[in-house]
Amino acid sequence: MSSAEGPVSGGGIVVDRVHRAFGDVVAVDDISLVARPGEVTALIGPNGAGKTTLMLMLATLLVPDDGSITVDGFSPVDDPREVRKRIGWMPDGFGTWDALTVREVLHTIGAAYDMPVGETRARTEEVLAQVHLADLADRRARVLSRGQKQRLGMARALLHRPTTLILDEPASGLDPRSRIELRDLLRGLAAAGTTVLVSSHILTELQEMADRAVIVSRGRTIETQTVDGAAPVARTWRVTALDRARLVTALGEAGADWHDAGTAVDVTLAGDREAAELLARLAGSGAGVTAYAPLHGEMEAAYLAATEDRQ
Amino acid sequence: MSATRLWTVARLELVQRQRTSRWPIVFGAWFVIIGLVTLASWRAVREADFSSGPSLYDVTTFFVLMLGMLVVPSLTATTVNGDREHGVLATLQTTLVTSWELVLGKLLASWIVSLCFLATALPFLAWAWIEGGLSVGRILLSLLVLVVVMAVVAAVGLMFSTLTARPVSSAVLTYLSLASLVFGTLIAFLLSAVLLTDQVTVRVNGIPESYWAAQVEPPTGAEPPVEGRMMQPTQADCEVFTRTSEVSRTDRLWPLLAMNPFVVVADAAPSRHADTGTFTGGFTPMRWISDGARDAKAGPAVGEVQDECSYLPASGSAPLDGESADDLSLAAEEARNAAALERRDANPVWPWGLAFLVGLGLVSVVVAEQRVRTPVRRLPSGTRIA
Repeated sequence: MSSAEGPVSGGGIVVDRVHRAFGDVVAVDDISLVARPGEVTALIGPNGAGKTTLMLMLATLLVPDDGSITVDGFSPVDDPREVRKRIGWMPDGFGTWDALTVREVLHTIGAAYDMPVGETRARTEEVLAQVHLADLADRRARVLSRGQKQRLGMARALLHRPTTLILDEPASGLDPRSRIELRDLLRGLAAAGTTVLVSSHILTELQEMADRAVIVSRGRTIETQTVDGAAPVARTWRVTALDRARLVTALGEAGADWHDAGTAVDVTLAGDREAAELLARLAGSGAGVTAYAPLHGEMEAAYLAATEDRQ
Repeated sequence: MSATRLWTVARLELVQRQRTSRWPIVFGAWFVIIGLVTLASWRAVREADFSSGPSLYDVTTFFVLMLGMLVVPSLTATTVNGDREHGVLATLQTTLVTSWELVLGKLLASWIVSLCFLATALPFLAWAWIEGGLSVGRILLSLLVLVVVMAVVAAVGLMFSTLTARPVSSAVLTYLSLASLVFGTLIAFLLSAVLLTDQVTVRVNGIPESYWAAQVEPPTGAEPPVEGRMMQPTQADCEVFTRTSEVSRTDRLWPLLAMNPFVVVADAAPSRHADTGTFTGGFTPMRWISDGARDAKAGPAVGEVQDECSYLPASGSAPLDGESADDLSLAAEEARNAAALERRDANPVWPWGLAFLVGLGLVSVVVAEQRVRTPVRRLPSGTRIA
């Protein structure tokens, strides 16, 4: 990952020094971010970091106390209607009208977006197929599992072909296959030019789907990074070898910063290049390396580093 | 505002309710209860010489209003905070549905349900009409007033559902508010009527004190009264004199009665007049309420000569415990009734009451719209937007 921030022209989301408090509680203190069209931007941070509050402001539900927000060039405060046309919002803990069938929920949403009946019906079938809910289309929403409701929430957000997706914990409650499908879906949408802002606690998945990560903590933007694979991120690697003594000796000769981890050894390395060089050295040491892998993904490592002060 | 989006909200509300409530059972129970009440009323007031239509109509209409005021708030008093609790309010708020469409759509849905309840009662109101003594025009007027009152009740419930975070709180507040309108206004009127009085000098056409004094001690030369008997005065003994009296200023308090939905419906109801020419007797609570409210609005007749003589025999004299020398003056009786009817006709209460209730409904809707408007700058404490 590498630090990156820059102006966005035209579309996308631009959040500039936004502040929002609820009485004495400051939910968002000073968050700035840019989410570009054609990219998936991950919003990550610990519980209570202000992610959901920020998303509510983006979704035209809350007014920021200070700072500015634009979505595709429109302000959610001054032009909420224009923003609503353009966004697809999926809240954390998506609620739905339990007495309606899955298909009826989407037909209702289509009517609420002024979509013609024929278009709504066609688009409903399309998004049901996209989120793999076609088989459950005539089931009442109340019988859906949590994961199925999440998928219905995704279908709801996609129905009116928004240019910007704001997804709060979309993978929550999804089984592994659904998570992979969600990742592929979001990558596909981003490739088609959609701006995707997604928050999640499952950093390994964000790592695979996000182009950019914005780390927030205590209502503030801590870091903004691009996910490009070549950027140096200090990470801990776990090494296991047949001959532990030789392994430790080889690490000492290489000047590596290591510590004991039971039968294995954890080594902190500045980046992937350093990791590759050490692996080559260990392979020639005769220690018999059997496992060599990072303990955390890049995004996870960056997140842990950025939020270290919480400890 | 888009009619399509408004109807989308209303339809969503109706479908949700229709599928989550046991409506056939509810409507069936409603039909049976009103039917039993109407039947009981019919058996109670049925008399060969009187038209029982007004009695039936009064009882049925009041019962519909009473049940409506119990049922309709349950439809709206939890609609917004309930949706918020289930996480579906924000789903609509982030679409193109405006806050007005959201509020009016929900109100429309509740109103439609209340109209369905009213429609279920229509066969019994038709029965009352067939029984006679009611004009179609007055029936339509009272039904129109009833329909508006139901909408107001729905609007009040809707407002409270936007004002509190918990559905149970809004339901309680709605029922308390309606109870204040029904019972609170009546209690306030009665208490105020006792407290708010004026000392006024009134002109009276009646029997002066001197008449009774003369009965006890006749003037010199007059024939002494028969022992143990006092002569009944006649209209010939009446004089016009002034008297200081304490009167209740109900003419200043009548708006309290006008705020009462039952008074509004009763005052617009057809039993106020037997305008079909059929004599109406028996149990007509709406007419009684209406007459009372209109008399209160007219207030004490301070400027007029109060006639206390019209009940007296026109002439002659008779012992108090014996038969009257003359029949009661029927002409005077009729004149008094005509004057009372004229005063009541000149003092309708329902238009004012209806205007108040419509105003209350409008204020409720405006408050509700303000409370669901997004984006929100200040969230009420304990409330989540989504």
